[in-house]
Amino acid sequence: MDITRQRSFLHDETQFAHALARAAAGAIIFALPLLMTMEMWELGFYMDRFRLALFILVTLPVLFGLSYFAGFEETFCWQDDLIDALSAFAVGFLMSAVLLTVFAIVRLDQPLPEIIGKIALQSVPASIGAMLARKQLGQQDDSDKERRIRSSYPGELFLMGAGALFVGFNVAPTEEMILISYKMSPWHAVALAVLSLGLLHIFVYTVGFAGQESAGDDGFLSVFLRFSVAGYGIALLISLYLLWTFERIAGLSMMELVTATVVLGFPSALGAATARLIV
Amino acid sequence: MADIRENDIESRDEDGSASVSRLAWISSGLGLLLFLGSVGVLGYEGITRGNGPPVITAVVVEVVPAGPRWLAHIRVTNDGGKTGAKVQVEGQLMAGDEALETSVAEFDYVPAGSEQKGGLFFDRDPRARDLRLRVLGYVEP
Repeated sequence: MDITRQRSFLHDETQFAHALARAAAGAIIFALPLLMTMEMWELGFYMDRFRLALFILVTLPVLFGLSYFAGFEETFCWQDDLIDALSAFAVGFLMSAVLLTVFAIVRLDQPLPEIIGKIALQSVPASIGAMLARKQLGQQDDSDKERRIRSSYPGELFLMGAGALFVGFNVAPTEEMILISYKMSPWHAVALAVLSLGLLHIFVYTVGFAGQESAGDDGFLSVFLRFSVAGYGIALLISLYLLWTFERIAGLSMMELVTATVVLGFPSALGAATARLIV
Repeated sequence: MADIRENDIESRDEDGSASVSRLAWISSGLGLLLFLGSVGVLGYEGITRGNGPPVITAVVVEVVPAGPRWLAHIRVTNDGGKTGAKVQVEGQLMAGDEALETSVAEFDYVPAGSEQKGGLFFDRDPRARDLRLRVLGYVEP
């Protein structure tokens, strides 16, 4: 019976319209900090077109995975997840287009690639926000199926990655990421890496946030290695990818590259740790 | 428990995806269109733009009075492959080989394949003299 009610979301016009409206609200709320960030407008304007295209390409599987694990409605087959992912992208794209036009960042007399670039870059956080809207703004009824997938190891890693991407993305475009790394000594970087890893582990297993994991019968070392270290590794990889995408690492020495990755790895690790809160 | 799940999936298959609402098809179709469109435009730009250095030129669009001074509207165009940041454009009012006045404008970004607009202020009327524009330099963003 529960299933029948939830299924109606995708198959009933009114329900789906509600889900779309909620997605639009989520897109605006989650993307607002980036929609009003100068670096994002400039990046959408000048960043390498291939990297931007690749970034948009990567967004779709992330949306698909988020639909599978959270999504703005319950889904039961991969076609439904695809419909959800594409709908979220449409909502995110259109919301970005409307807001950037109202802000006069996008004007019709600009060349088309410039307009597309600015909107497409913003549509990444906006569409993720649209996808998360159900979780944050809608009803919070996790189905058994969802819980099962969430508790599987690949599911955990995916959610950590999505959380890292979402939080990391919110700060990655800013100049401050690089500026902080310029100010830090190697010892500062080591301290920040240790702090990131420690906080990640504590957030997930100790302080008692909603949806936190219970360490179960596994020993500390096993859990620490399988989840916390793996999660921090994912956060660092995603940080490196974001820095590369935003052309923040060209010409840096290896030392500076690592420091910048660790700096961005801090918010990313916190995103990975709290993925269950925001995703 | 597992049996119930199996049944649910089977009943879904019987309904088929044709029962997905029209609105869902429209919004996801729009999403696909926007997705492929933006990736296509950006990919096309990436291919056609090449990877050469910025080639930045500046021209005077028009000169208008601006209070007690004169304003030369200028337009800079980048026909190269890469974006130039902090592009400085210098305008000199010439009297023969001698520069009477020099004004400078700086553009934060002049991306490849696009144009930006700006202006230079002068005390004398540039229309009566030779106004020489020079693009001084740029840094990579």
